[in-house]
Amino acid sequence: MESKVKEQQSIPVSKVQRAAKFISTGAKVGGNYMKHYAKKVVNPSMTNEQLHTDNATDIYNSLSQLKGSALKVAQMMSMDKNILPRAYQDKFTMAQYSAPPLSYPLVVKTFQKYFGKAPEQMYETFTRSAVNAASIGQVHQATMKGKKLAIKIQYPGVADSVSSDLKLVRPFALRLLNMNEKELDHYMEEVEGKLLEETDYVLEVQRSREISGACSHIEDLTFPNYYEELSSERIITMDWIEGNHIKEWLETNPSQAEKNRIGQALWDFYHHQVHNLKQLHADPHPGNFIIQKDGKLGIIDFGCVKILPEDFYQGYFALIKRDLLINEEELNAIFYGLEFISDKDTEEEKTYFKAVFKEMISLLGKPFHSETFDFADNSYFEQIFKLGDRISNDKMFKKSRQARGSRHGLYINRTYFGLYNLLNQLEANIKTTKPDWLK
Amino acid sequence: MENTTAKKASKADPKGKIISGYVEYVLEHGQEPVSIYKFAKELKMKEEDFYSYFTSFEAIKSAVWGKLFDDTIQNLESQEVFKEYSAREKLLGFLFTLVEELKKNRSYLLSLYADHKDLKKLLPKEVKSFKSKFKDFANEIILEGKETEEIASRPVISDKYDEALWLQVWFVFQFWLNDSSPAFEKTDAAIEKSVNLAFDLMGKSALDTFIDFAKFLYQNK
Repeated sequence: MESKVKEQQSIPVSKVQRAAKFISTGAKVGGNYMKHYAKKVVNPSMTNEQLHTDNATDIYNSLSQLKGSALKVAQMMSMDKNILPRAYQDKFTMAQYSAPPLSYPLVVKTFQKYFGKAPEQMYETFTRSAVNAASIGQVHQATMKGKKLAIKIQYPGVADSVSSDLKLVRPFALRLLNMNEKELDHYMEEVEGKLLEETDYVLEVQRSREISGACSHIEDLTFPNYYEELSSERIITMDWIEGNHIKEWLETNPSQAEKNRIGQALWDFYHHQVHNLKQLHADPHPGNFIIQKDGKLGIIDFGCVKILPEDFYQGYFALIKRDLLINEEELNAIFYGLEFISDKDTEEEKTYFKAVFKEMISLLGKPFHSETFDFADNSYFEQIFKLGDRISNDKMFKKSRQARGSRHGLYINRTYFGLYNLLNQLEANIKTTKPDWLK
Repeated sequence: MENTTAKKASKADPKGKIISGYVEYVLEHGQEPVSIYKFAKELKMKEEDFYSYFTSFEAIKSAVWGKLFDDTIQNLESQEVFKEYSAREKLLGFLFTLVEELKKNRSYLLSLYADHKDLKKLLPKEVKSFKSKFKDFANEIILEGKETEEIASRPVISDKYDEALWLQVWFVFQFWLNDSSPAFEKTDAAIEKSVNLAFDLMGKSALDTFIDFAKFLYQNK
């Protein structure tokens, strides 16, 4: 018994600590408000600027102490306000992580509710405690007919609490991202919709099968089988993928050719989804990619899938055409289409934002502008962060009264940023393929 | 033919017949029968015969609760894995199964208890048998928990653990009555969280070590 308790606790412990970190940030931000109002009593002319700087510093300090995804949030935050969903999502998942794992009786109850059987009756073996925590559930290991299976079970009440959880994070996000409410609401719906979708395991199984089937021809990739008859609204049964996560794999000192091969598989996977399927795995979290012993890249977790509307797709990717950066008229039309600028802007704002977005796009689209691109090049990423820093400290952005960028862009930006990051980690040199219409 | 078997069954178990008759009456009418006379008449029973089984509606309600408990335990013990559970898991298992049993009688329970603001005052009489049965069950769990050191023995306080667990059952019942989430998922979450809290409180904690240390300092001053 004793050892079992420990085992269960060892999984989320670091995540709990991370959640605690967030809470302390929240407390500090609250403190800044106190300070602000106290100062204002003495000196009524004090502006909100000071407050925002205080907040930003505290948040940044706190985030930079964190490793992993939260650090990425800080980096992405300075890069583009579009990282909102990421910050939201991390906050949201952290809230979930801080929940202790499901007790075994509840696991049994969940099985009985959906299948009328205990897990022991469904599989030959079934681990009593969770082997892994997923964002809104936990993973158990089972075997059946000699095959190792992964069973994902959702925490009860998660689907029901998405909206209220988002409301809870809202004030935090408002301060964290230094946005106005209008801007926030612009993205809110998109995030909420995606999170709700993630709680629908039936949909996830269906999408997993669809996308992994459509991508099965891509070299060096492998996907688990999903077992529909052993899955339900709250339970997913799939093959267990054995192997190393990218970080662990890199510690085994793979050759450059190997790294390029894995990176290329990753690139091809996204290329096919974005340009051919027009729907994609929008969660390039390192934990979702597993490199197997036979050198194939296993991809799991299709909980977050973004479907690209055709007109958004055309506009977004037309931007990476290199020569387009000169063609002013076409560019204007696309900027309007993607809601980067609108008629509400003054002439001054229009010129300013067009210039900034152009710069951003030419930088972010850089990998597409040559036949191959070396993602090991850290100076490229530094350039991105520098630009981001500049933008986030720019008064024009802070003062802007409206949301910029189509909401469809949220998850695409997040996905590409995540992909670039993974490729950077892999130090891979990639053949950056483009669809024919962009060549 | 059907009639005779029914009669035979009711003759063999008039108590059961009264209980199910009562539940049915509450379900159909949304309230208790006006008097025992009327209710006995409806059951085609003589009032004096009725009294040889139950003397009041409270006694029937209490029997309904007792049956809920028995069904829960029966169901629980039929789950093979139950024997292997730790104390914490046994309590969890009990509450999850209880909620399942309650679900079968939700309309009955709602029509009797949904409007009562202060359930604590009302219930002691009606849930007496349920309570005493549960306390036996709880004491078994507590004893087992103490053996496996899941639960810390503390002077005075540990004698009240069964009472505390009973309050927890009551909390879960009230929560469930007001739960409107699909499939009562929120109740599941409430059970998990409250049982974890209860066992974390009953388990050995920093507080015990602190008291021990304080005692040591005091004695060695």
